[in-house]
Amino acid sequence: MNLTFSHRRISGLLAVVPANERSFVEDMANFNSPPARSLKLMKVMGYDKHRVVDGPVCASDLVCFGMEHLFASGALARDGCDALIVVTQSPDYIMPPTSSVIQGRLGLKQDMFCLDINQGCAGFLIGLFQAFSLLEQPALRKVALVNVDVMSRKTSPRDRNSYPLIGDAASIAIVERSQDGTAIHANLKMDGTRRDALMIPAGGLRLPCSPETAVMEDDGENNFRAKDNLRMDGSAVFNFVQVEVPPMIRDLLQAAQAGMEDVDYFLFHQPNRFMLHKLADQMNVPYEKMPSNIVELYGNSSGVTIPMAIVHNLRERLLTGSIQACLAGFGVGLTWSSMLMRLGPLDFCELIDYK
Amino acid sequence: MEGFYEKIAEILEVDTLNASDELADFPEWDSLSVLSVIAMIGANYGVNLTASDLRGAATAQAIRDLVARKSGR
Repeated sequence: MNLTFSHRRISGLLAVVPANERSFVEDMANFNSPPARSLKLMKVMGYDKHRVVDGPVCASDLVCFGMEHLFASGALARDGCDALIVVTQSPDYIMPPTSSVIQGRLGLKQDMFCLDINQGCAGFLIGLFQAFSLLEQPALRKVALVNVDVMSRKTSPRDRNSYPLIGDAASIAIVERSQDGTAIHANLKMDGTRRDALMIPAGGLRLPCSPETAVMEDDGENNFRAKDNLRMDGSAVFNFVQVEVPPMIRDLLQAAQAGMEDVDYFLFHQPNRFMLHKLADQMNVPYEKMPSNIVELYGNSSGVTIPMAIVHNLRERLLTGSIQACLAGFGVGLTWSSMLMRLGPLDFCELIDYK
Repeated sequence: MEGFYEKIAEILEVDTLNASDELADFPEWDSLSVLSVIAMIGANYGVNLTASDLRGAATAQAIRDLVARKSGR
């Protein structure tokens, strides 16, 4: 479906990554494949380092650390937000919502709309749609859109298919009304029949965690993971992205009556460098207009990767100027979504380490 | 398409490869090899194949035909 919005802007972006860094070469010791084979994977996919939490760090820990940083630096007042949207697939608890945990821990006001959304790699866009819609209400002036995942804790270190690309991170985007009435075009599609491509089979009520769900199983290619762990059907996901994303961007630009040349940057979800290069090739986009360096530096943190791509690559530019940005997210659900919007100037645009 | 079979052989980590060899018979024909073939073909022949394009190709000859068809060569 096509969506349009107007009079909305992102006014600031903060990303938080764990200080703890692991390298692919360190991870290799846990894989059940010959080192030469793993090094080949590293080269093809573009793996190098990734940031993962050290110990039992939860989603709300990363977010509270980031919010306190914003309060301390004066970028945001403690009572400055009227809504807190938390997009995560790794909540602190099944209940209560992680947004309520964060609200309580930070001592935010009661006059507040807290909302959790269970979404992943398209979660920054899904969250923006919600934030934009909430701002229809005059009582809301600022929405804090939080994307956060600590998926390393649900990923088997012996699963070469998933572990080396996973990164943990949080982002906080402040969304508010703007004077600019230019249309913001977006689109969204979902296909629940392909929901098995990315899932954690156990831990919900359909299959509660038990000693049986903790048993490591071989996926047939020497990747060992339990039903308690993240499972990704890598080739199904790769195929999904190659087939669905280029037509989605074409449709978006058509709806916006814009051309590829009108877009300054294609800020896409970061599954890995290989897939992004393949997308850029298919769409005839020069690599420098489509950043693809987040996985090799920090890892794939699902819904956080679009904010990460922005703060890591465009910080200086967005603190002073603005760009025409084409955002796209694609993943769990399956869900795929894109948006064409003006980004910047931002009041803050920063990446900090969680210690 | 000079050196096509040599490049596929390299990915499969074998010294020689016949056009009609069944890819599934090679121990190294796994998801990583599929990605490597897609990357190699994109880089060398400017053709973008999908993983499911390759799923239908049983032999190296079939991949070569696929590339030829897509590139109009």
